[in-house]
Amino acid sequence: MNRLEADVLVIGGGATGAGVARDAAMRGFSTILAERGDLAMGTTGRFHGLLHSGGRYVVRDPPSATECMQENLILRRIAADAIEDTGGMFVTTPWDDPAYAAKFHDGCKGAGVPVEELSAAEVLRREPRLNPRISGGFAVPDAAVDAWKTVWACARSAQEHGARILNYHRAVSLHVSDGAVTLAAVMDEATGETTEIEAGFVINATGVWAGRIAAMAGCGGVTVVPGNGIMIAMNHRLVDTVINRCKEPADGDILVPIRTVSVIGTTDSLVDDPDENAIGRDDVELMLAEGERLVPGFRSVRALRVWAGARPLFKDDKAGEADTRAMSRSFALIDHRERDGVERFLTITGGKFTTFRKMAEATLDKMCEQLATERPCRTADETLPGSESGHHYWIGARLAAREGDLTGDQLICECELITRHRLEDAMQRRATTNLDDIRRTLRLAMGPCQGGFCIYRATGILHDLARLDGPAANNSLRRFLEERWKGVQPILYGDQLRQARLDDWIFQGLLDVEHLPESAPA
Amino acid sequence: MIYDAAVIGAGTAGLAAALRMAEGGLKVIVYAKGVGSTHLTGGTIDVLGYTPHLVEHPETELPSFVDAHPDHPYARLSVATINDALGWFRGRMTTYDYTGNLAANLMLPTAAGAPKPSALVPETMAAGDLRGGGRFVIVGFTQLKDFYPAYLADNLSRFEAAPGLPVNARSVTQRAPIAQADVTPLSFARHFEDAEFRKAVIAGLEREVGGSDAVGFPAVLGLGEARTVCQELQDGLGLPVFEVPTLPPSVPGMRMFNALKRALSKAGGTVVMGGPALGADATGERVEALVTAAAARTRSYRARHFVLATGGFASGGIVMDSTGAVKESVLGLPVAGVPPTGEERFSPGYWASHPMARAGVAVDDALRPVDADGDVLYANVRIAGAAIAGAEPWREKSGEGITLATGYAAASSILESDA
Amino acid sequence: MDLIDRLADEGAHESVRASLDHCVKCTICESFCPFSAATPLFPGPKFVGPQAERFRDPTGSSPDISLDYCSGCGICTQVCPQGVKIAEINARARGRLWAEHGVPLRNKLIARPSLSGRLATPFAGPVNWALGNPYVRNLVERIGGVHRHAPLPRFAGRTFRAWARKHRSPVAPKTIVYFHGCSTNYFEPSLGAMAVAVLEHNGYRVIIPRQDCCGLPLQSNGSFDAARTYVRRLAASLAPYARRGHDIVATSTSCSLMLKREALEILDVDDPDLAIVSARTYDICEYLVLLHERGELATDLEPLEATVPYHAPCQQRGHGIGKPAMELFALIPGLNAVDLDIDCCGIAGTYGLKKEKYDISMAVGDRLFKEVRTAGSEVAACDSETCRWQITHGSGVPAVHPIELLYRSYNLSG
Repeated sequence: MNRLEADVLVIGGGATGAGVARDAAMRGFSTILAERGDLAMGTTGRFHGLLHSGGRYVVRDPPSATECMQENLILRRIAADAIEDTGGMFVTTPWDDPAYAAKFHDGCKGAGVPVEELSAAEVLRREPRLNPRISGGFAVPDAAVDAWKTVWACARSAQEHGARILNYHRAVSLHVSDGAVTLAAVMDEATGETTEIEAGFVINATGVWAGRIAAMAGCGGVTVVPGNGIMIAMNHRLVDTVINRCKEPADGDILVPIRTVSVIGTTDSLVDDPDENAIGRDDVELMLAEGERLVPGFRSVRALRVWAGARPLFKDDKAGEADTRAMSRSFALIDHRERDGVERFLTITGGKFTTFRKMAEATLDKMCEQLATERPCRTADETLPGSESGHHYWIGARLAAREGDLTGDQLICECELITRHRLEDAMQRRATTNLDDIRRTLRLAMGPCQGGFCIYRATGILHDLARLDGPAANNSLRRFLEERWKGVQPILYGDQLRQARLDDWIFQGLLDVEHLPESAPA
Repeated sequence: MIYDAAVIGAGTAGLAAALRMAEGGLKVIVYAKGVGSTHLTGGTIDVLGYTPHLVEHPETELPSFVDAHPDHPYARLSVATINDALGWFRGRMTTYDYTGNLAANLMLPTAAGAPKPSALVPETMAAGDLRGGGRFVIVGFTQLKDFYPAYLADNLSRFEAAPGLPVNARSVTQRAPIAQADVTPLSFARHFEDAEFRKAVIAGLEREVGGSDAVGFPAVLGLGEARTVCQELQDGLGLPVFEVPTLPPSVPGMRMFNALKRALSKAGGTVVMGGPALGADATGERVEALVTAAAARTRSYRARHFVLATGGFASGGIVMDSTGAVKESVLGLPVAGVPPTGEERFSPGYWASHPMARAGVAVDDALRPVDADGDVLYANVRIAGAAIAGAEPWREKSGEGITLATGYAAASSILESDA
Repeated sequence: MDLIDRLADEGAHESVRASLDHCVKCTICESFCPFSAATPLFPGPKFVGPQAERFRDPTGSSPDISLDYCSGCGICTQVCPQGVKIAEINARARGRLWAEHGVPLRNKLIARPSLSGRLATPFAGPVNWALGNPYVRNLVERIGGVHRHAPLPRFAGRTFRAWARKHRSPVAPKTIVYFHGCSTNYFEPSLGAMAVAVLEHNGYRVIIPRQDCCGLPLQSNGSFDAARTYVRRLAASLAPYARRGHDIVATSTSCSLMLKREALEILDVDDPDLAIVSARTYDICEYLVLLHERGELATDLEPLEATVPYHAPCQQRGHGIGKPAMELFALIPGLNAVDLDIDCCGIAGTYGLKKEKYDISMAVGDRLFKEVRTAGSEVAACDSETCRWQITHGSGVPAVHPIELLYRSYNLSG
């Protein structure tokens, strides 16, 4: 049994948890972050990448809009490298209530969201693939943000300030004694070993899973309803600006250019299990239909991958309200001392990616208050690792890098321009045998061929680098193919179907992965 | 000009059908929107490998397989026809010999190190046969990212051909005398056709291959000169040498393409590559002309017979749009094996059996397209290759067997009807 | 559904950029690209085309200068099994690249053959002498970036249009328009005369309207705006005849391809004049084969006892019509035309003239030159002028347009 000590234990490695860990470490607390999977594997890694200007909330929830705009500016400063300054537009299509436009404009003004009115001609000049029947629009400072980059940068920043990041460590129990949380037990998913962590304070930043962790400390009734939403990545950038429908927020009204793809999202259905990530055929059909309204010919565009993320909709049972209006998208910081009489324990849930830093700040402020110590937040002042230059991400970055070294290095993932050195570096840094971990870090196999060509190469390289035996490497390969299929099967038509069949040819007909040796049962 | 036969598609099935007909004296044109399956296939002719049980003797197991799968393309052919097709094919491969037959599958290593059953293989691959066990050394090159000898050898060493016949494999990675870091398989093949390059490779390996029964290389050992290249490597290393096919584009496949195309040219056939084939002019039960997309206009090719060798989903011969509607993309033939609208086409599990896996055009025993009632749609059209319904070629390891045998048989059927 | 509608619907007018969606990474294009095989400076059609295009801002330029090593031969688009318009993606990206970096002066100069033609023709003798002089060529290479050995054609002195002005095409039941192109006018006027004779022999009155350059060299050198101006002007000259129902034939197979589809696909020239001209433009061999299929081709072809190696230019294959020249050769008794079936001669229009690309160009054409030489014949045949000059330069064997063989077989020189 391993034993560790820290001032602060943060459970949950999404944007909120990574933000909290960073803030805590920067305020001088010795910090451990425990995440049951890979960082940003939960809701954070499953959203569309829209860094809100707040435009989406100006009519229904102006304070939320103002908050978004403030954080938008802060993140652009501190996380420049993870953000592409695409700008955003709210456009009025024939299916949108034209009266909303005025409300939207006024709402932006009122909430402090910079807005510029655009003629239909200007909208189409900026984005020629949009529906020519669009009647007008507004420009706002939306942007596209790479969630993984941001979360990993926060984690690295936390480490630089002394924190320890334990991914693939699942929280299994919290020990409450004398009305305070004193001890936590986490289990290493790879080895099965348990580690006990003696923590001065525990922060539950598990988002949509918050209820489970809170219950471990005897704080029941923290209900976070998973609001499931699907998103589809289309093979190339149909637009270079974030596009929103100028209407009451609903399904399928966002199209985000993120890295090399365009993401259409999203739906909204309440589910029971946040780990289910089910993708319904009707939802896919809805995304395609809405996509077709924004971009004529959308249905013929190649769909690469579909995935579901669960929004954390906090509903406090103890608040006594029964209807769904109690479920808010604004964040919820639960003071368990007040609510449950349990000390040294806070839960932070709800919210959206754009405001993660603020959520972390509020959490640490509360914690400091309870510890009766004054330590100011500086997370908005210090740039994240990788963003020191202040330059935003630009789409041509990897192409330019490759141009600089055409003959000196091998291109392993050709679709996403990942070189062998970069891949090996990531494999070594991450010390993982899970190819999906590498995928999240580098975008390996996230291009059109979805690993058809690069995953065999990556497996061969992993086998060598990680000194795996054949069966272990085969396992990685098989698991990758199974995982990939989940995201491809629901949108398998047209060009992606063609690709999938070619990939089958390669993996089954040529490499015969099915008949590779398996690990001997334990 | 009215051709005797027009073949649509320049993959293995299309080129085989065209060549056979041209040899039979017909004036043949092959129309294709691009290069076909030859460049994707590993180069071995896999006839039947798994039923899902491992097939050791295709000849004896084909009849029961066909009984169990009466809608399979092989059900339209006799074992004798498949045999004839293989024999015919061997005679046309001038680059080198193909060895093997339907009596017994060879077991060759894949680039990942799985043992795969193949009926007919290029002579340059035969020494990799695992059926007798043995000690192998697998050679890779640092500049070739499509081949991982250590991974291959590791997996291969866990294979036991039969009790007492273990396979023992180890690997060697060499830096080839090429300046660039990222060299394609085709580029390697061209380098191997240079004598100095071969000498350097042999010199680098001489002391590394001792204690082995055979030396395996990635399948990059030359193009048209493959036979010479392998011979020299063999002589230089003093051991049998074999190639292992790897990711596309396939060098052995290119050799096959070049040989078939050359032979077709010599036999008076023409190959035209242009825009997609758009459809056909048909009257009643006969197709009169193939209509293709040329620059600024359409171009029609009139012929008395047609062979549709456009492939399945992987080549775009059969397509499915976002509403789930499935079409055969040139003649608009009905596609069999498609679940009703609204039902799942593919299972959620990757390794599961997928409802639409065997979709394709249904055919009669003369390989003519038929509708759901079994009535012939066009009397002068034959379907060859992956466009035919009823097979799961990658699972069965039957892809090349189907393309070759049905291409051959489609041609035979046309020659017979013409006689 | 009407097939023309279907043509319009699917694929033919699909945006070039959107066609990148069809790429399944099979890399077949790269295995056929003769230029990436000859130089590591060109990363290959798949890389530069559908792959890099996903990393490009459609309005901005691309960071990959290496795309300029794409020759534009179009072989990649021809062999792609999925219908990706690879060469067209590359060409468009090149246009944006040079729009941002500024087209080099050298590119501007070699891309205007009608301008250099007009300027040099009155002084053809001295200019030809100078261009044949090694010292002058060294200077031109150092200052102008045109390789000293590059196969530059000789100015004819008397233009084809001068000949045309004196020529009366006999009245005939059928009329046809001849788009001669810059090369015929300034460098090979006799080819034009032969083409006219062959057409007249087949019962056509030949109209040679006012016309200028199609803009192809400007397009392939990245000067898109200038190219658009030229092609629109050409379309405007030819459109009235097309509207009257006359077909247009061209002896320069690359210029006719420009009119047929490249001006639309690469330059986005969406113009009613161009549309009607496109629909009426034919490569001359293509046209004669169509005549033959209708039974209207004059078949009084006399024997030509010769072996002639034939090279189908990349741009000719880009028409998607097979090799009509070979079909015409089959009608000439005694003629043994050998389809060399080799990918590329290397010149790719103006590509091989450039100092930094000449060696690559010669390496690409090497196999073709060897085959032409070993054929041991007096002439080789090829439908593109720049390819003819390259073939002669590389093999020493004179090269003629296929029309010339028909001309001789029809015995029209008397």
